[in-house]
Amino acid sequence: MGRLIAFKVLQAVPVILIVSILAFLLMTLLPGDPAVIIAGDQASPEAIEKVRVSLGLDRPFLEQLGVWLLNLAQGNFGSSLMLNQSVLSAMGERLPVTLSLAGLSLAITLPIGIFVGALAAYYRQSWIDSAVMVIALIGVSVPGFWIAIMAVILFSVMLGWLPSSGFVPLTEDPALWLQSMIMPAAMLSLFQIGFLARMTRSAMLDVLSQDFIRTARSKGLSEWMTVGKHAFRNALIMVITAMGILISTAIGGSVVIEQVFALPGVGRLVVQGILARDYPVVQGVMLIYGFAFVAINLLVDVLYTFADPRVRYD
Amino acid sequence: MAVKRRDFARGALALGALAGTAIGGVSVRAEPKKGGTLVYASVSGPGTLDPHVASSAVELEVIHNLFEALVALDEKNATRPMLAAKAIASPDSKTYTFELRRGVKFHDGAEMTSADVQASMERYRKVSPNARNLADVARYETPDPYTFVIHLDKPNVVLLDVLKSPIFPFMILPASQKDKPARDIEVIGTGPFSLAEWVKDSHVLIKRFDGYVPDTSAPGRDGYAGRKTVYLDAARYRFIPEATTRIAALQTGEVQLASSIPSELRQRIEDRKDLAIREVFPIGGTYVIVNSQFGLTKNVLIRQAIVAAIDISEITDATGGVNKPNPWMSFPNTPYYPAAGTPSPWYDVKDPAKAKALLQQAGYKNEKIIIETNSNYQWMRTTMLVVAEQLKRAGMNVDVRVVDWTTNAAHMQQGTGEWNLSTTLFGPDHILGPQQWRPMIYAFPSIKGNDTLDAAYAAFFAEPTLEGRRAAWLRIQQEVLGNGYMVKIADSGRLSGYSHKLKGQSDYPGILQLWDLYLE
Repeated sequence: MGRLIAFKVLQAVPVILIVSILAFLLMTLLPGDPAVIIAGDQASPEAIEKVRVSLGLDRPFLEQLGVWLLNLAQGNFGSSLMLNQSVLSAMGERLPVTLSLAGLSLAITLPIGIFVGALAAYYRQSWIDSAVMVIALIGVSVPGFWIAIMAVILFSVMLGWLPSSGFVPLTEDPALWLQSMIMPAAMLSLFQIGFLARMTRSAMLDVLSQDFIRTARSKGLSEWMTVGKHAFRNALIMVITAMGILISTAIGGSVVIEQVFALPGVGRLVVQGILARDYPVVQGVMLIYGFAFVAINLLVDVLYTFADPRVRYD
Repeated sequence: MAVKRRDFARGALALGALAGTAIGGVSVRAEPKKGGTLVYASVSGPGTLDPHVASSAVELEVIHNLFEALVALDEKNATRPMLAAKAIASPDSKTYTFELRRGVKFHDGAEMTSADVQASMERYRKVSPNARNLADVARYETPDPYTFVIHLDKPNVVLLDVLKSPIFPFMILPASQKDKPARDIEVIGTGPFSLAEWVKDSHVLIKRFDGYVPDTSAPGRDGYAGRKTVYLDAARYRFIPEATTRIAALQTGEVQLASSIPSELRQRIEDRKDLAIREVFPIGGTYVIVNSQFGLTKNVLIRQAIVAAIDISEITDATGGVNKPNPWMSFPNTPYYPAAGTPSPWYDVKDPAKAKALLQQAGYKNEKIIIETNSNYQWMRTTMLVVAEQLKRAGMNVDVRVVDWTTNAAHMQQGTGEWNLSTTLFGPDHILGPQQWRPMIYAFPSIKGNDTLDAAYAAFFAEPTLEGRRAAWLRIQQEVLGNGYMVKIADSGRLSGYSHKLKGQSDYPGILQLWDLYLE
């Protein structure tokens, strides 16, 4: 296990380096000038130049890249051009919101997605199967921002059940936190439930047609034990793979959801960073997301070995 | 010459001397109630609350409630003292003496004195992008705690107009902030509200400043100045970028005021008896910008052909929103607006035949005219698509290119990129006057080596009388609009939505002012 983790961590180093260079290239090669944004629409060319020099944006490209990588190696992700604070502190302030959203979304997605996927597989080619698959198809096909806006109109304006937007920290009031997060998390889950249900169904169908399931049934094992223990355990490896993807999409999908529901999370930070050409923010967020995705993949690899003892990496 | 409270607008230095009727009056209201927290839905949060470097609306709509300046715009857009009790200009316009109001307190309880004014001036000149407008300032003096004197290198008759600007506002900060870098101040002002909480990307909470000392020389509020009365306990700015969610928050009663309502969604508010739409007009003027340093549009005849091809109502019909035709670069009822009947032959010409004749005269051979617009602002994109069709109708070969707003803005401001036409909105320049317009006029259409324009501006700054400056400004507009450096489209406004529970709103189309508002 130790060797596995060490090997995966070593593999991650060049990935992180490539991600960091790509992030830098992507932002600096885009047209547009952060000095113009910061100085404002009404600023004169001299004022814009003054801002550019003060931010070091007048330096040669390679010098900017070198300085940034050097700072990165020292754990300095730079300072936001717009917020007048370090990128890490800006992210730290917003991370609880995004983690809340992603965590609650996964808490909704996992039981529902796995249950309806397994149900569809068990009742394959019945109306239950068709209904689950149609709903799953809608979940993965409908644009997130549209369904989120529709949810606001239905649950907030028409029914008055939930607030339309905003965030209350969990530590401040757990009930209000849940009230403010349940709709955004549910909307983020729609895509994920559809995806997970399809994956679970497919994995369960594979397993349910195996000889050992027929054998289990032949020897008189209850249907619950056959499906719930033998079939599901064997289908789990596919579900674990899907979970890795789900966590990544939950973080990525939060960008749109945070925008619609006015949640002050990392997704909104990165959108503002992109619009304002706040290079350090976008680069820092991309890099930390890169770290997170590598860590998630590492975790998935480790979980494989627990879910399926046949899986060995040595 | 002394300029006092209500008499301020009568002085030769005041922009409001020729102002006619007010843009808006104070709404009639009965028995304002004290208390409550107003929740306001704004599009996004401020990047900074440092007034000396703030230019975006989302920053200024917080800043103007926290800080105050020596002088400010009144509701007729004339200059009115705010923290100054009076301003006296020497006959040669080289010395300005400000007598400060006594007893004015900062949010930390300290009294504002001339030392704070001097420190603010010194900081402003170091950090503000607008500092170039104070380039003539030679030195200051603070003979006593309530007097501040500015000495200029050369006469500047419009210094007070610079000091009243609502963008990059010259707000007075405590002297302790003098050496604070841009965007790094402690938020301490003399305004009627003080900062209570600021959670980036989430909300700003400001609370009533009970130590606020109002300007008792005024009977009531007056634009950005006057006697400010605070009824609200607090105001909470919530940052909701999505328009539908902003409207939903208004509909559910979570907020009582919401900014930037798209005109296509106004019906959702107007359909409700408890809500209403407010047209905030005018907030700016929209223009087609013509790049006078790139390709075909270097040629004045080509630029005039473009002017001749433009049909304004086609553009405003397509873009929607709140628009009114106005050929000039000042708003009606502001001091520099020309007299009725002044000809504006460049405006709304809509004459393709004339455009074709001018093209022929210019020797046009179907070369491409590049229009640059952006993907961020629908109205800009629509404007340029309509303009493209109008130019095609006049026989021009047009290529429309779409970039993002930051690129588009940078190209216009710096004269970079390959483009002939683009569009933008200019805001407070229409109120603040020619001195504020100057950098925009030269930068956006990339005007270089235009002796007529240079001479007109030189005359403007040298002219001691408002009448003379108005004449110079007319010549400037004739040069800029008549020779097709810019094409005026219309004056435009924006929509906000509000609950009928919110009372006491003024018709003055300035940046959000929370004083005198109350909740029923």
